[in-house]
Amino acid sequence: MISNETAPPSILAIARVFGRISATAFGGGQIAAIRREVVRNNAWLTEDEFLALLAIAQILPGANPTNVAVLVGSRLRGVLGAAAALAAAVLPGFAILMVIAAIALDSHAPVLRGALRGCAAVAVGLTLANAIEMTLPRRKSLIDLALILAVGCSVVFLHLSLVVTLLVFVPIALLVRRPAAA
Amino acid sequence: MNLTRLALVFTVLSLLGFGGGNAIIPQMHADVVDKYHWITSVDFTRYYALGKLAPGPTTTMAALVGYAVSGPLGAIVATLAVFVPAGILVAAFGHYWQKLRGNPWRERFARAIAPVVLGLIWAGVVTLAHGALDSPVTIGLAAVAAGVLLWSNWNQSIIVLVAGAVGAIALR
Repeated sequence: MISNETAPPSILAIARVFGRISATAFGGGQIAAIRREVVRNNAWLTEDEFLALLAIAQILPGANPTNVAVLVGSRLRGVLGAAAALAAAVLPGFAILMVIAAIALDSHAPVLRGALRGCAAVAVGLTLANAIEMTLPRRKSLIDLALILAVGCSVVFLHLSLVVTLLVFVPIALLVRRPAAA
Repeated sequence: MNLTRLALVFTVLSLLGFGGGNAIIPQMHADVVDKYHWITSVDFTRYYALGKLAPGPTTTMAALVGYAVSGPLGAIVATLAVFVPAGILVAAFGHYWQKLRGNPWRERFARAIAPVVLGLIWAGVVTLAHGALDSPVTIGLAAVAAGVLLWSNWNQSIIVLVAGAVGAIALR
């Protein structure tokens, strides 16, 4: 089939990106790392496309980072892309977890625990940087900023569950962000 | 048969895990600690902390439960059971989503949901910070990492490795 879009990345390129993230995203922050690679560094997806896939990943059952990997892989390269992305997103993290567990569950190893705490702190920084980068382009839309703030506060202060948050705010967002009449 | 039961428990968790990895933690605890007594509650907490700290999804902690039940084979079975069923479901939905391309409702949904997801991401920053930023060193590391990521194109793994080294020295 002829497509007038730019050629999608190879299966290997997809596996490499998700494999590297799975091997290095210590302490969480994988979604932020995926967004950085897929949107910012490689421009495989636009910001809105990525956020839509992220929303679907959060609604469907399963771990969010692997769901995002499957959706991005599927969007870029169909079923094979999805399978490669899922395998690459799970295997390195699995192997490293088994090694860390073998060490950490046997001894106290304060050096290792300190190192992992440092990595976890950086994961927060990574997520923060991505949140800032994604929010900045929307700073002129008061509706967007109000929605972001309302959703953030509802989850942080009112502890709304994800399902309730989406059920409440997605209809609101669809109403207030109606495309402007031409 | 422990292995079959292991596969079954994690497949069900995989398919019912609406709301991401953290959402299945209470149910996983109920199954593997309270119902089948495969591990103790203390073990569970330690596995969870390791799953949080290791790279990859927290859900990979299922591998540690599997290992406790039947060794390396158990680890593999639990990992496959917790990731593959949900993966297939998500891939099927993703395929359907691609078919909607060009449909104005798809574009409209994507545009409208973006700020909602951003709000969730900001809430996630607060939640993560609450657990991980407990000292001047960790706060400093997070701030420096955010700055480097915003104003440079450094590979993220280098930043993670440096932070690991700093943590090993300063956070013992």
